[in-house]
Amino acid sequence: MLRDFRVPIPVLARFAPLASTFGLIVVMFGLSILVPLVVSHVLGDGAEGAYDEAVAITLVAGAVLWLASRRYSGELQVRDGFLLVAAVYLVLPIFATLPLMLQIEGLSFTDAYFEAASGFTASGASVLSDLDRLPASINLWRAQLIWMGGMGVVVLAVAILPLLGVGGSQVFKAETPTPMKDTKLTPRITETAKGLWRVYLLLTVACGVAYWLAGMSAMDAVIHAFTTIGLGGFSSHDASFGYWNSPLIEAVAIVFMLIASINFATHFLVLRQRALAPYARDPEAGLVVLAMLGSAILVAVFLFGHGVYDTFPTALRYATFNVVSIASTTGYSNTDFGLWPIFAPLWMLYLCCFASSSGSTGGGIKMIRALVLLKQSLREFTRIVHPRAVAPLRIGGNPVSNSLIFAVLAYMLVYGLTMVGLSLLLTATGLDFITAFSAVTACINNMGPGLGQVGPATTYAVLTDFQTWLCTIAMLLGRLELFTLLVVFTPAFWRK
Amino acid sequence: MLQPLRAPLSVLARYAPLAQTFALIVMIFGLSLALPAVIAHFLGDGAETAYDEALAGTFACGALLWLAARGHQGELQVRDGFLLVALAWTVLPAFATVPLLLVLPELSFTDAYFEAVSGLTTSGATTLSDLDKLPPSINVWRTQLVWMGGMGVMVLAVAILPLLGVGGAQIFKAETPGPMKDTKLTPRITETAKGLWGVYFGLTFACIVSFRLAGMTWLDALIHAFSTMGLGGFSSHDASFGYWDSPVIEAVTIVFMLAASLNFATHFVAVRRRSLLPYARDPEAGMVMLAMLGSALVITLYLWWSATYPSFWTALRFSAFNVVSIASTTGFANTDFALWPIFAPLWMLYLSCFATSSGSTGGGMKMIRALVLLKQSFREFTRIIHPRAMVPLKIGGHAVENNLIFAVLAFTLVYGATMVGMSLLLTATGLDFITAFSAVAACINNMGPGLGQVGPATTYAVLTDFQTWVCTTAMLLGRLELFTLLVVFTPAFWRK
Repeated sequence: MLRDFRVPIPVLARFAPLASTFGLIVVMFGLSILVPLVVSHVLGDGAEGAYDEAVAITLVAGAVLWLASRRYSGELQVRDGFLLVAAVYLVLPIFATLPLMLQIEGLSFTDAYFEAASGFTASGASVLSDLDRLPASINLWRAQLIWMGGMGVVVLAVAILPLLGVGGSQVFKAETPTPMKDTKLTPRITETAKGLWRVYLLLTVACGVAYWLAGMSAMDAVIHAFTTIGLGGFSSHDASFGYWNSPLIEAVAIVFMLIASINFATHFLVLRQRALAPYARDPEAGLVVLAMLGSAILVAVFLFGHGVYDTFPTALRYATFNVVSIASTTGYSNTDFGLWPIFAPLWMLYLCCFASSSGSTGGGIKMIRALVLLKQSLREFTRIVHPRAVAPLRIGGNPVSNSLIFAVLAYMLVYGLTMVGLSLLLTATGLDFITAFSAVTACINNMGPGLGQVGPATTYAVLTDFQTWLCTIAMLLGRLELFTLLVVFTPAFWRK
Repeated sequence: MLQPLRAPLSVLARYAPLAQTFALIVMIFGLSLALPAVIAHFLGDGAETAYDEALAGTFACGALLWLAARGHQGELQVRDGFLLVALAWTVLPAFATVPLLLVLPELSFTDAYFEAVSGLTTSGATTLSDLDKLPPSINVWRTQLVWMGGMGVMVLAVAILPLLGVGGAQIFKAETPGPMKDTKLTPRITETAKGLWGVYFGLTFACIVSFRLAGMTWLDALIHAFSTMGLGGFSSHDASFGYWDSPVIEAVTIVFMLAASLNFATHFVAVRRRSLLPYARDPEAGMVMLAMLGSALVITLYLWWSATYPSFWTALRFSAFNVVSIASTTGFANTDFALWPIFAPLWMLYLSCFATSSGSTGGGMKMIRALVLLKQSFREFTRIIHPRAMVPLKIGGHAVENNLIFAVLAFTLVYGATMVGMSLLLTATGLDFITAFSAVAACINNMGPGLGQVGPATTYAVLTDFQTWVCTTAMLLGRLELFTLLVVFTPAFWRK
């Protein structure tokens, strides 16, 4: 009983490196609010006051945390990685709600947190309507959340998760061969992050310029470049890309959505080596593009065959844009695809579960896991026919170890179970099946719009608070690849 | 180039033992038509000639095949097991359609084959309506198919599939120790079959007597005992158990459905030792009971809370009967449960995926596989927290080897992919999502009624021919545990 008194100091020392790192992240996040603040002041869009307060509160909170934990020195451990990632994705959205709540009257905290989490997880599911009438800086802030979330995701997927050993993400690190230290997080991550972010920044600039040249206003170009490269899907228009009704703009969007669906580490190598060979060597890139464009053609044929569109080129235009948008987990639309015969939107919904690449800003289980699952199933056929044959599972020529396959399979199970469980819970609270199922699928894959009551023509505002929180949890679980978040809630994690 | 000329003889020799065994099965199947024939003649229900012709035709086919294959000696090999099982479940239904087609001239072959497959796979999905007006002997034949299918399934699950190494079925053989020869199928199967069928006959007899005592006619008691013990779900009344509206009959049914959901090998051991201990040692039995009765209670509370039924007791009666019926993949109904709030029927549909025991007459992936999946998921959490720990996965105290876990996981993947693929195919042909999804789930789990257009109040007759064939395929795949049937269609199976 007396021991309890000795606990606080070791606990402080134990978590101080974590707290000071997190404090620093909060401070940087606070500084990022300066962007909409400046824009708001320049445009005089009426939201200036909101950002002043938000910046101040966030900076103070971060600085206090940093100062309080600064004097304990220490190195971040692997286990801290889980906590840090969880804290970043759970707590930063709270700060992100500040400008929204200060500016938009009547917005509940539940809805504001949903919107912020949706942005930060690059989902793009929205509870807001009348987007065209919002202050421009608010739309910028929403899009900027996606863009920053995308930066986080890229580093998470390529540098952090493989280190934490989550869900077989070690399969992804094929292209980063250097030996890794297992206990120190910081140096490796910093290195990787710099390289990836340069590519990310470059692509964002290219995307923005392309949009602007294709006919968007400068402001819209920035907003949509943010949400395209982050594969988020927020728009500044209720009609999303239907607002422009421009095949040219849609083509630009398709190209950049496809690019953002491919591993940024591969883009990085391509830029450094000034060769396209890394794309060919990437076991995912080809399949990602094939899955998306193949499905686009299939859906186009289906829509044309069912007379949804009069001509094949029109069907192709709408199919390509919406299929690539949903499959890449972006979530834009240029028409209400919820009105298409149910096969098409369902196919798109299933695609978004796996069609984007690991190390991209997309969601879902990722193409590499789908590949492992497929090969493992085929391997089983071989095993049944030749019970004594040993056929290793190979990805990109390298054999994958059993423990990695187990990790991928366990990931798949928990993913499936979470989808079934959450959608059952949503139906229990009164939603119809298609709305519940599609909402959970859209959220856990960080895609955005679902079908039925949460379809592309509507918003998530129809949900009750409880249902909204379930969707928020789904988005966070999906973004943090399930285990990263779930493991923090196991007793075993806190033991020792 | 000369080789093909020598092939026919060796091919004949190779497949002669298989053909002989199959011929024997066809002849026995033909003789089993004697039961409805006798009943038809006794009752004079107008269907007499149909059975005479069907019996003669089937027996003649079997005898011809037997005579043709007789000259060649040989032993059945493991690989023949796959073919034999596939043939039994795809060809026997064709013979089984003969009485149906002769008595019901309006019935198409597609629908008749669906009905026969539904019987022999113990699914209970039907394309027939006006059951009360059918000749009683036809209803006997339908349920007799279920009952015989049940006999086949038990032997398949306990003796054949573990030998074939399908989908981790080897885990099931816990209760049948003793070294097995890997190459000879026959002796072991005969032995096991006798023991299991003894229990099956005993339980069926007890079920007939109980139904009679509870108030059914002898004929109805026979029909419903057949379809209860086989966990099929065919009834001789359109209203299924709603016809009697008797809580006593429903209680009897619940007890026997639960009994049939347990491993018959466990029943066998319990009967032989005159002790209940084997049930406690069976890793599935307790979980099966818990899943079904626990769910019945949850759904009772939900129905009561959502005011679907005014009193708790009424809710309990309807919930217990329908939940156990669907979860055990039987498919009886005493009310149109599709009218309940969607959460309840969905929950029941998911339950039917895993709530029955291996070695029972139920369908789905079986409780033991669900257990392996659950434990494998937990194991992954441990692995993430302690990357170097070696934690074996244990079922019933025994460590399960990696190969078996892989097999179970591959089974689950193929199972999931088949469900998604087939339900997409059904939506592509114009069905709504809930009908498509529930039809595939109900068929692949050999359960019977789905929701929407194929709900408990309707039949599968609304489907187009193509859709009916998709559902037929789903029933066959589910019954043969996917791989048994699929592997026959791989080129590797036919090589060498």
